[in-house]
Amino acid sequence: MKWIAFVLKSMRRSKLRTLLILGTMTFGVLVVALLLSLLTTLDSVANNPNSTNRIVVRHKSGLTQVLPRSYEAYLKQQPEVETVCGLQWFGGFYQDPGNFFANFASDEETLFQVFREEFGASGITEEQLKEYIRDGSGCIVGKALADKFGWKVGDTVPLTGTIFPISPRLTIRVIFRSPKPSDENVLHFHTKLLEEGVPRMKGRVGTYFVRTKSPDDIPRLIERVDRNFANSASETLSETENSFNLSFVKMLGNISVLLQGISLVVLVALIFVAFSTMAMAIRERTTEISVFRALGFTAQRVMGLVILEGLVLTGAGGALGLGLTWLLAAVLRPVMGSIFPFFQDFNVQTGTMLLCMGGALAVGLLSTFMPAYEAVRKPITEGLKTL
Amino acid sequence: MNGEGILPQEGAIIILRDIAKSYWRETLEIPVLHGIDLEIPRGGYYALMGPSGSGKTTLLNLIAGIDRPTGGTLQVCGFELNDLDDDELAGWRNQFVGFIFQNYNLVPVLNAFENVELPLLLSGLSRRERREKVEHALELVNLTDRMLNYPRQLSGGQEQRVAVARAIVTDPELLVADEPTGALDSKNAEEVLQLMERLNQDLGKTIVIVTHDPKAAHHARHQIHLEKGLLDKTIEVNR
Repeated sequence: MKWIAFVLKSMRRSKLRTLLILGTMTFGVLVVALLLSLLTTLDSVANNPNSTNRIVVRHKSGLTQVLPRSYEAYLKQQPEVETVCGLQWFGGFYQDPGNFFANFASDEETLFQVFREEFGASGITEEQLKEYIRDGSGCIVGKALADKFGWKVGDTVPLTGTIFPISPRLTIRVIFRSPKPSDENVLHFHTKLLEEGVPRMKGRVGTYFVRTKSPDDIPRLIERVDRNFANSASETLSETENSFNLSFVKMLGNISVLLQGISLVVLVALIFVAFSTMAMAIRERTTEISVFRALGFTAQRVMGLVILEGLVLTGAGGALGLGLTWLLAAVLRPVMGSIFPFFQDFNVQTGTMLLCMGGALAVGLLSTFMPAYEAVRKPITEGLKTL
Repeated sequence: MNGEGILPQEGAIIILRDIAKSYWRETLEIPVLHGIDLEIPRGGYYALMGPSGSGKTTLLNLIAGIDRPTGGTLQVCGFELNDLDDDELAGWRNQFVGFIFQNYNLVPVLNAFENVELPLLLSGLSRRERREKVEHALELVNLTDRMLNYPRQLSGGQEQRVAVARAIVTDPELLVADEPTGALDSKNAEEVLQLMERLNQDLGKTIVIVTHDPKAAHHARHQIHLEKGLLDKTIEVNR
């Protein structure tokens, strides 16, 4: 028997108490890790490094309004602009309204240039690209989406429109891969198909995604574009793509502050619960601690053993909590991802795991240090009572 | 332990000179021991006796190095205890003193073997060496067959014998016991007292016990009587 073995045996002193504190830590870490992972995921939506040199131009009145196609030429003429892609949210479903995923009518010629980082990992060949551009009823789908429905290149995908009164039958020409799972859960088809099927969309598009030559150009470009179309029939609202994405996150309210607040409350509650439990456990062992010291254990060694016990207990709770969070994340990704696409990127980051484990160990240290210090500060004779 | 302060007197293991001890209750000083002078020879078996409040437990605590005097000097097992700091004193206790408590004070989550092994965890001995010493100590108290039992699975007498094994496992020179039979019935008490007598006679351990029980005191070779914090008399026990 050495120290760790002794500590593990010591934890069996009150199995119920050990299980309760383990359960408290596990649940606490699970909640905090989930909330922090959600925060990280939301943050990645609003701070996508691939979006730094892209802006979104849309109708000032809102996303339900469309912009004239003629704006495209103006945008392309700006010296800061590399290329422009018109993108219209289609909002169709496959077979059943429950099969919801992101689908767009987009400009097939410029889509791959504007979103080259998203398609960069796909290894799309020149022939595939030509085939997609040639086929007016062709579509491209992300691998995650294709896997979900068992699609392969050449399959026909009937989409039922919910916003527009058409139901195009699309042929899959490309299945692409992307570094982010959420970017693989998307389908693009030709803008022309929408324009032909919906007369009111002829010469109109919902948003322009503009790729600039340099991120430094963006403020100047945004200001000029919006000034140019001010007081026109279709005024624009231009913003960075990250800011555009953030507006969707903001629809959930000031969730970041809320999540941080809940995490903090959980952490403080954990410290109080652990502190009172450990203090009680250590107080019950006052005599035993004095016996140890009488047998020759120094005050520091006894304190170390008691603190080690707290660390092992809260550390085990933290590890269990993180394990459960990891499992839960795997369940939440597909379930919540069909409602909120950003959830497809939901993951427990290494930083979150380290932070949670650090927090759990800090709770162990904080909850045992003071009671242990008090216990060893007491004179041995007082603790022994009988000797 | 470096052996500094080795006693000049051959044979005396405990030398107390003008020992005083007071406790404080807020601003009130409560004197417990006054000017105690005492010498106990190596291999002696002494019983400290006296009425409640006479200071016998306090005197035992000072000899065992778990309390410090407010005045005087005490040399035990060759060391001037006032010169040792708290950590050195802890190391000294581990090496030179075996404790036997009235309520046994075994760790409930450890079995008999592990309880006896506890003081050896500080020794730096290998696992095999520790095992040999623990088995030997349990053999001396005749509990080899119960070494895997937990305290709750042992009788009071067996628990106290495990505590005795824990006290002797480091082979200390001095054993101190405070009312070692106070929680035992007469049969078990007698067994424990006979065991302590054997440790004194066969292994040469110096033993100092505190007891109210005349039968327990009769097992000692000398009885020291205290009265109101002063040494009253020392009696040699005739058997």
